[in-house]
Formats: sequence, C-alpha cells, structure tokens
Amino acid sequence: MEAQKKTFPDRAALIAHVKSLSPGHDGEPVSDMVGGRIAAEAALAQIDPIAYGASRNYLDGAVTRLSPYIRHGILSLNEVRNHALQMGDDKAVEKFIQELGWRDFWQRIYAQNPDWLWADIEDYKTGFVASDYADELPDDIANGETDSAAMNHFIAELKTTGYLHNHARMYLAAYIVHWRRIKWQAGAAFFLAHLLDGDPASNNFSFQWVASTFANKPYFFNLDNLQKFAGMLAPCDYHSNKCFAGTYDDVAMRLFPNVKAL
Amino acid sequence: MMPPLIWLHEDCLRASHNLFDHAPEAKAVFIWDDAYMNAMHYGLKRRVFIYESLCQLPVEIYKGDTATSLAQLAQDGQDIITGKTLNPALKAIMAVIRENTKLSAIADVPFVQMDSPPDLRRFFKYWNKAKKQAFSYDGRP
Repeated sequence: MEAQKKTFPDRAALIAHVKSLSPGHDGEPVSDMVGGRIAAEAALAQIDPIAYGASRNYLDGAVTRLSPYIRHGILSLNEVRNHALQMGDDKAVEKFIQELGWRDFWQRIYAQNPDWLWADIEDYKTGFVASDYADELPDDIANGETDSAAMNHFIAELKTTGYLHNHARMYLAAYIVHWRRIKWQAGAAFFLAHLLDGDPASNNFSFQWVASTFANKPYFFNLDNLQKFAGMLAPCDYHSNKCFAGTYDDVAMRLFPNVKAL
Repeated sequence: MMPPLIWLHEDCLRASHNLFDHAPEAKAVFIWDDAYMNAMHYGLKRRVFIYESLCQLPVEIYKGDTATSLAQLAQDGQDIITGKTLNPALKAIMAVIRENTKLSAIADVPFVQMDSPPDLRRFFKYWNKAKKQAFSYDGRP
C-alpha cells in the first residue's frame, strides 16, 4: 500500500489533495479554522478563561474555539484544564472549567447509555408529544432561507465555517425544535454534518436539553435576549425576526399553548 | 517481540495520547476511509481539518477500507493498539478487526477520576461530585 502525501507547498494544495480523496465533495466550502496541533496550541495560548466567565454568552465574547481540537483529541480536556488553572484562581476560572465538565458529562452519559444518542431520553415537556414534531428538516432551514434573518445568518455561518458560538447553537436548535416543531434528531443530524467539532454525545444531548427530552423544561428565548447577546454580529432587527418578539410569557404562550407555566 | 501497530482514528489525533506511551517505537497509521466518512456525513470542511491534523503527526496515511487496510498493514502476528472511543462506527470496525487480530483500545487521560459512578440524571448532580477534582492539576485528588 502506498502512503499518502503529508507535505504540501500551501493550504490550497492540501485542500486539492483532500478533494482528490473525497469524491462528491468537490464543491463544498472549507473552513478557515485550521486543523492540527500547531493551530490548537496557538488557540490554547490565546484563551482568557477569566474573561470567558464574564462574556461567554455574547457572540463576540471571549470564547476559545478550542472545541474542534478537543473533539478530535488534538487537545485533551486534561491539558486544557491544567492550562486554565495556571491563569487564575479557582473562582476566577470556574465557569471555564465547568464548561469542560459539560463535555466530560456528555461523554459519560454516552458511555453509560449509548442507546440514548438518537432516542428521546424523556418525554417532551412542551405540551406536545414526539409525533407532533416533523421528522425531516425543511429545505428553507437547510438552505438558510427561513423567515428569520438571524437564523439564516447562523445557518450560513454553520455551513461555511463549520463553527457556531454555543449561544447561536442554542438559538438555532430552539428555533428548529420549538418554533418550527421539528424533531430534535433532524436538527442534530444537520449540525453534525457541518460542525468541525460535531460530536454525537455533546451535540445530541445538548439538542435533547434544548428540546426538553433531557431537561425539566424546554429552552427558548425572545427577541430581547437575541438582540442583547447576538445583535452585535447577527441581523437581529424586529422586522426580520418577528417570530421571536414579545415577553418570555408571550413567546411561551405561542410556542407551548398547552403548558400552563414554564 | 514485535511492537504493535498503532491505529490512529479520528478521536485520538494527538502525539501525546496515552496510546504512544504504550508503544513508543511502533509505527502509527491512519486509514483514510471514504466510506466511513460518508457514513458519518463528513463534508469537505471536516475532512480537511482531519487531514491537516494528520500532517503534523508521526503517522502514515493510507487510503482504503479501515479493517481491510489494517489487516494488510499488520504483519503476521502483529497486535494493533488504538485509542478508546465511544463512537459506535469505530467500535464496529474494532469488532471486525478483533476477529483475526489482537486489538487493544487505550483510554485518554481522564478529566476527573471518580471512585463511584456519578449521578448523570442532570449536569449539576454530576458537577457537584466532579468539581472536587476538576480544579486539581491532572484531575487528581
């Protein structure tokens, strides 16, 4: 057997080689996020776990973008944790370490319950049953042509870069499941196909958390929240995102009319 | 005694993975398995990311079906070691390999080490137990 090339004059040549090994994928985009340990160590050197604790929910906050490297074992959770511990006292880096814990938590659930990956762990707490949700992702979501400019922005980013800020993932997942009433499994498969860090456990169990099949209540949001945390990077104006407008009670009554209080 | 063949797969793309400590002199290979990646719905973005990662590792890349290629690359009687994974598709491939070859899956360094299984019904039940070690270097008590 002949070993494949590992040295290339530039990234374009590497991409051309990968295309030659990947029939049927020629016209697809390539992410600007570069693979490999060198890029991973550079990203690790730039993390600010203290600022992360304060700003992580904002789309322009101090998030680390380490997830694709952790997902493929290029960085271990252990070394990322050890690095963060050197940068502040326990209290200051607590939120960052806790986020690493989420990854560990999902993996442990997966190890104990591999059958939960694509099955509803619990019933929906939305006032609906699983059969009320559509099986397939509609074309307007797959193509980023929905009635929400913000969601279209996130979909385009997902498909182009292979990365989404965690809060944007939550918004888009909630939109798919609750606003469009589509089974979380369809949304999870869509995310997995595009995310560089797509990991079945983290992705699918997070979707189940949003859907409420692995949480006490569904995750949803309103336009005020979207504008506060995403407005600096995504088009979050009222006229192109009307479906999210209203107080939390207003939105809950529209989305979950059979549930008395959330 | 012949060193084993190291099979790197997509979940263990790191030269400091425990895997390499088990066989420092061993040859490492990655099988570029187009059928596997199609089954995982991996597009060009993920494929380029993985290939770039491989280019910085002490590993040779071969194209083909994973189990078949490993059977060809492992010399007579040579064991295979790989990284432990939860991925059912990779575990299925490991089961096929084990029909004819001794294969050991080596776990990565854990984030925290727990004496007893944590309560995994909700995150904070896990976290209340895990956080005692989560703030320790190497997650050790």
